[in-house]
Amino acid sequence: MSANSIASQGEGYMADLLKEIEAQIAGAKAATAKQNVGVIREVGDGVARVEGLTDAMLNEMLDFGQGIIGLALNLEETEVGVIVLGDYTKLGEGGEVRTTGNLLQVPVGKGLLGRVVNTLAEPLDGKGPVDSVANYPVENLAPGIIRRRPVTQPVQTGIMAIDSMIPVGRGQRELIIGDRSTGKTTICIDTIINQARLNRAAEAAGDKDYRPLYCIYVAIGQKESNVARIISVLDQAGALPYTIIVASTASDSATNQYLAPFAGTAMGEWFMDNGMDALIVFDDLSKHAVAYRQVSLILKRPSGREAYPGDVFYLHSRLLERAARVGEKYGNGSLTALPVIETQAGDVSAYIPTNVISITDGQIYLETDLFYQGVRPAINVGLSVSRVGSDAQLKAMKQVAGQLKGDLAQFRELAAFAQFGSELDAKTQAQIDRGKRIVEIFNQPQYSPIPVEVQVAAIWAVQNGYTDAVPLERVKEFQKKLVDFLSTRKSELLQKIASEKKLSDALTSELKAAADQFKETWK
Amino acid sequence: MSMTRKQAMREARQLFRLCIVNRTLDEGRVRQVVQSVIQFRRRGYLTVLGYFQRLVKLDRAQHMVKVESAEPVPYDLRTNVQANLERAYGAGLATQFVLNPDLIGGMRVQVGSDVYDGSVQAGIAELKKRFGIASVNGRKADLKGV
Repeated sequence: MSANSIASQGEGYMADLLKEIEAQIAGAKAATAKQNVGVIREVGDGVARVEGLTDAMLNEMLDFGQGIIGLALNLEETEVGVIVLGDYTKLGEGGEVRTTGNLLQVPVGKGLLGRVVNTLAEPLDGKGPVDSVANYPVENLAPGIIRRRPVTQPVQTGIMAIDSMIPVGRGQRELIIGDRSTGKTTICIDTIINQARLNRAAEAAGDKDYRPLYCIYVAIGQKESNVARIISVLDQAGALPYTIIVASTASDSATNQYLAPFAGTAMGEWFMDNGMDALIVFDDLSKHAVAYRQVSLILKRPSGREAYPGDVFYLHSRLLERAARVGEKYGNGSLTALPVIETQAGDVSAYIPTNVISITDGQIYLETDLFYQGVRPAINVGLSVSRVGSDAQLKAMKQVAGQLKGDLAQFRELAAFAQFGSELDAKTQAQIDRGKRIVEIFNQPQYSPIPVEVQVAAIWAVQNGYTDAVPLERVKEFQKKLVDFLSTRKSELLQKIASEKKLSDALTSELKAAADQFKETWK
Repeated sequence: MSMTRKQAMREARQLFRLCIVNRTLDEGRVRQVVQSVIQFRRRGYLTVLGYFQRLVKLDRAQHMVKVESAEPVPYDLRTNVQANLERAYGAGLATQFVLNPDLIGGMRVQVGSDVYDGSVQAGIAELKKRFGIASVNGRKADLKGV
């Protein structure tokens, strides 16, 4: 490159820079427009009451100065109720508040993947500023009827009991509900880890058809130590590069906890609008409702049942309605939501659980009793449903697991009956034995999702009586050895199941041959 | 039984509406209302008067004009500003001229909760924000892209 061309390039750069500065100055000059201000009358508990502000809009961002912003939530006759999103202890009575004319927004984009941020998308991980491509409003209208399309693509959670009996599809809202420490978060983390595994595998294989699923984990009102543990688990599993973590922990203000799931959803909507798929976990919405109750009570809104405000249903319905699968013309993406609800002593008929159950497209119900019986994940198959997921389920899985839910329900009934120790006929005994083996097969350690083709093979083996002769306590060992055998010596068979996505006659006979071959070696 | 907060507020609002003539607050009526409320001493009258006072105060604040400038404003400019404001906001404005050297130059006019800021100070603040020097959205101030 000649010295001349470098000089001209430099001039071009200077001209651009000058133009940019000029534009900025011109913008600043034009900004001498009318502003609307108010005066703080009282402030406390993260809420300020402001007099004046006659032009404030609902949900408008307000500028308190010193870099602190607030959100106008209550517009009253003589004052405005504002929730403060920064450090409210710096504010005092008589301080000036300005309208900004903007709704609350958060930065969005792929630059957030692998980051840990707070409600306002400010980094918490010390990795420097967040890269963003756009700003999305935190409160947004859900996609309308025209923009939506049915759920037909699966979300592989990697958990056998879920993928086979309670399948989740992309764009679905599936509630995870249960008492404390029954493994709710573990299911979500397993799902995130499995997505990372699938995304990486597709990247490595150069599979253009695979739509990667990006994950957003929103921690609401959780312990900081818990969030740190989850981050380290995701990091160890290599899932962090595909995951955004929005953390609003127990030490954050109630206003930030209330806005966190909305901010996370805004980040997910960007993926949905740009032809990508995303999965968002709200952990958990019980604490979210509590945070919202706190904000509402401080704002002196009338309270209803259990002191929750009247719009607590709308709070969750408008949040979860934003999870959808949209048509090709309208973004061609999807946002799947996995809200978590913690129940007290298994009471699903409490206020918030019933609300969220009725909003979502099904629920995964976890039980303490099952957990202590050693069924892990402790999913109660009878009470868990997926209303739209079966359309999204893999054909092969449908073929092997179609009858599974009914069989298990029958087994539970018979098992309860058999407890009385009465004589059983051979058929009933066989059913009970089969049921016990199915339950055993579904046991799965945490943070180790199973690929779907392996799940299909394992369930096929149980359904076709290969485990009937195996003693119950050795079923797990049998499953492990079978999987080892298939993945080392018959890996092309597993690949075929994964690629063909259904069990043709030829594939079934191949599977049968492989299983027979394994059974001969099994001792 | 004492009067509830809501009842007191409602009564104060009714009294306040009685004092409005031609969309502006009539001072004579305000005085009359206060006197008669004190005279009759109805249940909770002090609470009602408290809320009434607040409504009057807020109304006054909405009709207060505060003109800030770095240097004293000449007489002809004052009358000009006043005339222009009355054209925009109607009569009944109480104008106050204040010296504020922090503005550096220009003028800042506040009518009720509306602010027209043409001061040099506001211009600098806006430039700071545009170049990312001022803190925005609670983030620390740093030079963007430098």
